[in-house]
Amino acid sequence: MSLVDLIRQFSILIGLPAAVMACAAAAVIVIARDWRLVLFAYAALSTMLALLLSQVIPTEWALLHVIVGGLVAVMLYLSARQTRWAALRRGDSALSLSSGLSRAARWPQVASLSSFRLLAVALVTVAYLALRDDVRLPVIQPLLRDTVFWLGLVGVLGLALHEEPLHAGLSLLTVLGGFQLLLFSLTQQRMLVGITEGGQLLLGLAISYLVLSRGLAETWPASGPGVSRWQA
Amino acid sequence: MIAGPTLLLSLLVVAAAALYFLRRIEALAALLAASLAALLAVGLWRLPLAVPVRIAGRSVWLGQPLAWADLSLQITPAGQALLVFLLGAGAVTFILAWRTFQGRTFYPLGLVLLALWAMVALLQPLTAAPFAVVLAAIVAVFLIQAGQPGDTRGAWRQLLFPTLAVPLFLVAAWYIDQGPLNPDDQTPYRIAGWLLIAGFILLIQPAPLHVAMPAVAGKAPLVVAVFLWIGQQSTVLFLLQRFLVTYPWLGSAVDSARWLLWAGIFTALVGGGLAATQERLGRFVGYAALYDYGVLIVAMGLRGTAGLPTAIWLLVTRTLALLTLATGAAMVRHHLEGDRLDEIAGAVSRLPWAVTALIMGGFALAGMPLTAQFASRWALLQLVAEIDTRWALLLVLGAAGVLVGAVRAGRSCFGKLSGSPVAREPASLAFLAMLLVTASVLLGLFPQLLTGPVAAVILPLSTLGP
Repeated sequence: MSLVDLIRQFSILIGLPAAVMACAAAAVIVIARDWRLVLFAYAALSTMLALLLSQVIPTEWALLHVIVGGLVAVMLYLSARQTRWAALRRGDSALSLSSGLSRAARWPQVASLSSFRLLAVALVTVAYLALRDDVRLPVIQPLLRDTVFWLGLVGVLGLALHEEPLHAGLSLLTVLGGFQLLLFSLTQQRMLVGITEGGQLLLGLAISYLVLSRGLAETWPASGPGVSRWQA
Repeated sequence: MIAGPTLLLSLLVVAAAALYFLRRIEALAALLAASLAALLAVGLWRLPLAVPVRIAGRSVWLGQPLAWADLSLQITPAGQALLVFLLGAGAVTFILAWRTFQGRTFYPLGLVLLALWAMVALLQPLTAAPFAVVLAAIVAVFLIQAGQPGDTRGAWRQLLFPTLAVPLFLVAAWYIDQGPLNPDDQTPYRIAGWLLIAGFILLIQPAPLHVAMPAVAGKAPLVVAVFLWIGQQSTVLFLLQRFLVTYPWLGSAVDSARWLLWAGIFTALVGGGLAATQERLGRFVGYAALYDYGVLIVAMGLRGTAGLPTAIWLLVTRTLALLTLATGAAMVRHHLEGDRLDEIAGAVSRLPWAVTALIMGGFALAGMPLTAQFASRWALLQLVAEIDTRWALLLVLGAAGVLVGAVRAGRSCFGKLSGSPVAREPASLAFLAMLLVTASVLLGLFPQLLTGPVAAVILPLSTLGP
């Protein structure tokens, strides 16, 4: 079975279900704190966006979005894991070396700020419902227009609420995903697909690096500003 | 026949790959990077663009475009001037970085950055050029963090805004393509104009979008931070100039000159005000540079017959001022292993030339007499005062803030050493600091030394084509 055949199996999702799931996944990226849940939501968002993109560009090109999204998710997963194992090696009291990750470390983390972020997303939803009919984007189907608007709103909200690289980075990728829906509705150029997806991959690499840098800072002693030298 | 962009970009990228493996031999890596950048700068400056020349037995045509699908790269006279400036600044920075311990990966990644900024200067269509700005910001992430865990705000913030700008440029490109389909309807141009201005706000990052500069200065090695500002800000402003000349309707769709003036004055005021109150050297450098950037944006806003030469003049003198300040501050920070003003007491007894560079760099950014920036700032203030005296006063107010910050930073370096013993500054570093300070004073005394280079750039910049 080719990749194109595989995506055809999901054809029942193309349209409203994919748009709803993409919007829900974007909201989870902003609200949830647990990195595993957030990465899962990002992978789901990439898949749903690929299904929506397949309505405006050839399926083979749309599939590239799933591949890039998957690679970014894997890079971020490896960064997050490496941060946790660094914590283990340094003898973090909450973790047990003998049994690998302890029960506490495996359990999803829920922060009290999650409810605040939930409220913020709810307010954005109200704004979205009030404004969505006034948004005029050229040459784009109403369903895709609504999705683009939602992804843009929620992504910008995520950028405003988060400063740590994992959530902020995925919020940025959410905004860019929405933009891709708009751009490829306007113009269908193979080169543009390649450049934007390649750019997202490199962006994912930079975000993963920042996730690692930030994560390690919480387990290693802090370094002074600008006085430390590259040791690699 | 080898096209100019092919030769330039491939040399930079191949050298970067080679230097990555040589980075542990820091002196060699620095010298090779500086030599290559200087060689390319001299070559671009001396060789003609219009006719092929023979280099090492091969025929090279610098002005020949390199095309791939809808994209093309071509060295134009204006692009050539920017490249000479960037490569020259890069060559000096590589040497300074070696003596001020800025990190070994700076040399390969610095060359990659030069290649990407060159792409911004040469790329067609213009609306694709912000892609290269984002790629440069991605590479800069690794330079700012310098392989160390810690605060990621600087790296993240400098990446965020250019990335958000790219969609605006791409959608604007679609509207620009729609314009000729219905010549009577100006709506596509109007929408494209607003999208482009919004994109440029994100790329230029005037206050209050300036948050990356102080954060980068607080985290990154300072000479590296200054290199990033010099390269990124000059290429973005060059890109703006290309847009304004290529799309004349942009000036009428949006009053870009007035917008730039306001943004520049606000940025300068914020930078100057905050530079006066900083308790850390790095952040002082960041805000002083922000003030100076605001002044440069004001000069871009003036445009016209006098504004553009002043902007070019400022661009050259600010490079010297920023490098002088960063060299001094980086050495103080490195030797005293601290960044807070109360941790650097006594620095002058062990690092006299570094402290001199710190003070002179600060004074230069404030536009004080006997510094490189004095004449160019004076010319700018006169131009601004012709439009509105209050704006000139606001710029002077910002300069006073930078001056106060420089005096505070300099004063903190006096007194008794409070911490562990500090090594004396190496002779080579003292020589470099002395050289920078002397160059700054010389340009302060004889500003006409820059007349030739500035005049050579004005015509190509004011008439540069697509």
